[in-house]
Amino acid sequence: MVSEQVKYQADTWKDWCPGCGNYGIITALEMALRELGIPPEKAVDVGGIGCSGKLPEFLAINGVHTLHGRPIPVATGIKLTRPELTVLVDAGDGDTLGIGAAHFVAAGRRNVDITILLHDNGVYGLTKGQASPTLGLFIKTKALSKPNINAPVNPILLALASGYTFIARGYAYHVKQLKDIIKAAIQHKGTALVDILQPCPTYNNVYTKEWYEQRIYYVDQEENWNPVVEKPEELEAKMEQTIAKALEWDERIPLGILFQNKTVPEYLDRLKTRIPFITELPPYRQPIEVDGKPIVDIAQIFVDKLVM
Amino acid sequence: MVDLVFEIGGPQGGGIESAGQIALRAFMLKGYRVYGTREYHSNIMGKHSYFNIRVREDRALAPNLPADIVVALDAESVFTHYNDVGEFLVYDTGVLSKDIDSIQSMSKYLKARVKEELDANGVPHTVEGVIKLLEKRGKRLVGVPLRSLLKTTAEKAGVSLVSISRAINTIGLAVGMSLIGVEVEKLQKAIELFFAGKQKVIKPNVIAAQVAYDYAKQNFGGIHREVIPDGPHINTDKPRLVVSGNDVVAMGKIAGGLRVQTYYPITPAADESLYLEKFEDFPLTPEAAEKLGLERGGIVVVQTEDEISALNMAIGASLAGARSATSTSGPGLSLMAEALGYAGIIEAPVVITLYMRGGPSTGMPTRNSQSDLFAALFQGHGDLPRIVIASGDHEEAFYDAIKALNWAEKYQTPVIHLLEKAIANAMKDIFNPDLSNVVIDRGKIEKNPPKPFPRFKYTEDGISPRAFLGDTVVWYTSNEHDQFGRRNEDPVERIKMQDKRLKKFETAAKEIPLEDKVTLYGDPDAKITIVGWGAVKGAALDAIDKLKEEGINANYLHIRMFMPFPSDYVKSVLEKAETVIGVEGNALAQAAQVIRMFTGFDIPHLVVKYTGRPIFVAELVESVKHILRTGDKKVVLSLGQ
Repeated sequence: MVSEQVKYQADTWKDWCPGCGNYGIITALEMALRELGIPPEKAVDVGGIGCSGKLPEFLAINGVHTLHGRPIPVATGIKLTRPELTVLVDAGDGDTLGIGAAHFVAAGRRNVDITILLHDNGVYGLTKGQASPTLGLFIKTKALSKPNINAPVNPILLALASGYTFIARGYAYHVKQLKDIIKAAIQHKGTALVDILQPCPTYNNVYTKEWYEQRIYYVDQEENWNPVVEKPEELEAKMEQTIAKALEWDERIPLGILFQNKTVPEYLDRLKTRIPFITELPPYRQPIEVDGKPIVDIAQIFVDKLVM
Repeated sequence: MVDLVFEIGGPQGGGIESAGQIALRAFMLKGYRVYGTREYHSNIMGKHSYFNIRVREDRALAPNLPADIVVALDAESVFTHYNDVGEFLVYDTGVLSKDIDSIQSMSKYLKARVKEELDANGVPHTVEGVIKLLEKRGKRLVGVPLRSLLKTTAEKAGVSLVSISRAINTIGLAVGMSLIGVEVEKLQKAIELFFAGKQKVIKPNVIAAQVAYDYAKQNFGGIHREVIPDGPHINTDKPRLVVSGNDVVAMGKIAGGLRVQTYYPITPAADESLYLEKFEDFPLTPEAAEKLGLERGGIVVVQTEDEISALNMAIGASLAGARSATSTSGPGLSLMAEALGYAGIIEAPVVITLYMRGGPSTGMPTRNSQSDLFAALFQGHGDLPRIVIASGDHEEAFYDAIKALNWAEKYQTPVIHLLEKAIANAMKDIFNPDLSNVVIDRGKIEKNPPKPFPRFKYTEDGISPRAFLGDTVVWYTSNEHDQFGRRNEDPVERIKMQDKRLKKFETAAKEIPLEDKVTLYGDPDAKITIVGWGAVKGAALDAIDKLKEEGINANYLHIRMFMPFPSDYVKSVLEKAETVIGVEGNALAQAAQVIRMFTGFDIPHLVVKYTGRPIFVAELVESVKHILRTGDKKVVLSLGQ
């Protein structure tokens, strides 16, 4: 636990709309970091573009605001270089499932130890409400002149198919529960996704607070719910159970930890099979010079190229 | 003075690559400098591929034609290269009756041109027809029964014919080598070096070489041609390496302290990353190991999902404190345009090694070009300077790779290091690089950074001290920002921050020495100046030598840095010359336009080549003479298959 004296949020005025789900998310994130004892200088928040991408600007931890869709590769580069840092991604469903979908998929394949907080509101808020990748087919929000003719992508299923080892869903207005989910996601060793249902009171008049609150429930309140794969042979059954939950939407929407696989090595552990000392000496810790001089001899390394 | 061209061609994926690599090593063991350019298709197996190897005593930096010896391992090579033959053609007697129309892998356009020439000379469309034509031309023709020599090799090695089918390349190569008196022992040593550790491959190839030499001795009276003497670099204790441009950049990056490399597979860049991956865990020098208490270094090489990710990931690594780079070619750079601007505004040090190939779009992916200069200079939106350097040969590429890493960190900017396929895939001998004068300069780094940290502090030289993510609290944003990296669109602060970013490049322009930016080769008072960049260097240096032999005094202005551009110096050299000829490997004469933009000097004569093939020395010499004779404004080169 980090003292209440230490600030996680910046003094900056937050220019989100009143009632925005982002207020809940930033508060939950602050609480999670504080409770986990991660000081501001050891955490990095990497943001995309849009309302969600403003999170790093409103936080007092290391902040890297990036490009639309690109926070995952930037976060990956940071984590591989300095693994001691807690690396978070705050990005919208447009960022992760639209323009940056290739990066979202690749993150699952790599299983780098980063936590992705997916601000899932079904609209492109900052450009005034266009349909985004999670908005349902034929839904017409008030900002749209005609109903949406694109079908939605299911972030839980996509994450599962891509190999994410931690998949959870939270709700932006349930700050305490969301905080617990984020804590579990951070503590998980591997790529973690928290799909955060986030009402956009300004542009999404379909997926509203009321709409969500009539449907959401927590999976851990069900008897015998256990999403954790401890042994490889459990994988199929656990995935089936997660798929079933992921398909629930119109009547009931499950929240909580939906899937966790502890049997898959994290990316740095995979790199260790190639560079045995990489976890003790990640790129950041490696010296590259002595008194400004190189520390290698070309002919000593590249003996395969020597002709003599 | 020995200046030999040895060309060997055959089907891709059938051992032609190995034959070329072995030939290079054999000529090195004979004491020569070598340069081997490779031409190949975007194909794994079956299409035609060849090596053009230049062998010289002092400097081998460019391909040339005609070739003293052409070794054609199959019928397609005969049809493709018979016009390259200077003196000898070594061919397979087993394909004499082969008709050109029966060769599926050959381009219909080349077939049509060849048939036209064969018809005009009244010979049939077969290998035999070509041989007759070459006889008329007075060429020396060396027919070798490759299959039967392969059979002899298999018998002697006690293995099946099928298992050593690729040794047919060695037989053809060995006959070619025997003609100029490269000892069989040298060829056999070259085989051992190239296939190091693979005894099962070495043995039949060593035997194949002997079988071929024995055959040549019996049938061609040993040696047909004047034997080349031992070269000046024989048996010296100065170690030499044989490297491609891709290899040598990887070596430079390791020497320069690279710790994270990202890439998406693309020709002709990917081999650099694969080579880095091979040596991702490498030994430090004993002295460094003792001082640091550390035996090894390691480079994290990440194959990303696309080039967008590659540059963004390298930027992330850079912010966290690693020297990072990515490597790509034109189409990849197009995808990186967005992140290039990002690196620019957040002042992230990152190196993009850009290997040019024929464009636009997919273009000619395995062919040479210098057509991405505009892209390197102007890719990306906004007021976005960057450092752009172009290497002219393998040795420049090595040191430039290190300098690029230094400049990226010192000036906190993306650096684009331009190379071309003609360097990337060309093999060259280099001496073990001397690192005693190499410096690793990480620029301004704050040792005790305050929290929060003014990452973009206004300074005299425009360069703000860096702190890495995790050293304190550091903020970055792709938006315009204040000194603390917080989004800010105040008009007054905007001017200060934009000017600060531009100021860095004025500082770089002042601090980077002229010799890293431009070099004038030859007589500074010559009345003719050839201006070029990149791999034009090799052809131009040979060209000014050859022109001198013919009484024409020209010098060569080699431009290495395009941003910041050495405007004053370049302008002074160009204005001093009576005749200025720009030479480059693209259709728009991009460098000539860039020179006009930065100096106001309009280059009056241009020699351009955009066939996808490198510039050969002979055609450059001819084009310069043509311009001097006619005053023509533009010559388009087209030599080479």
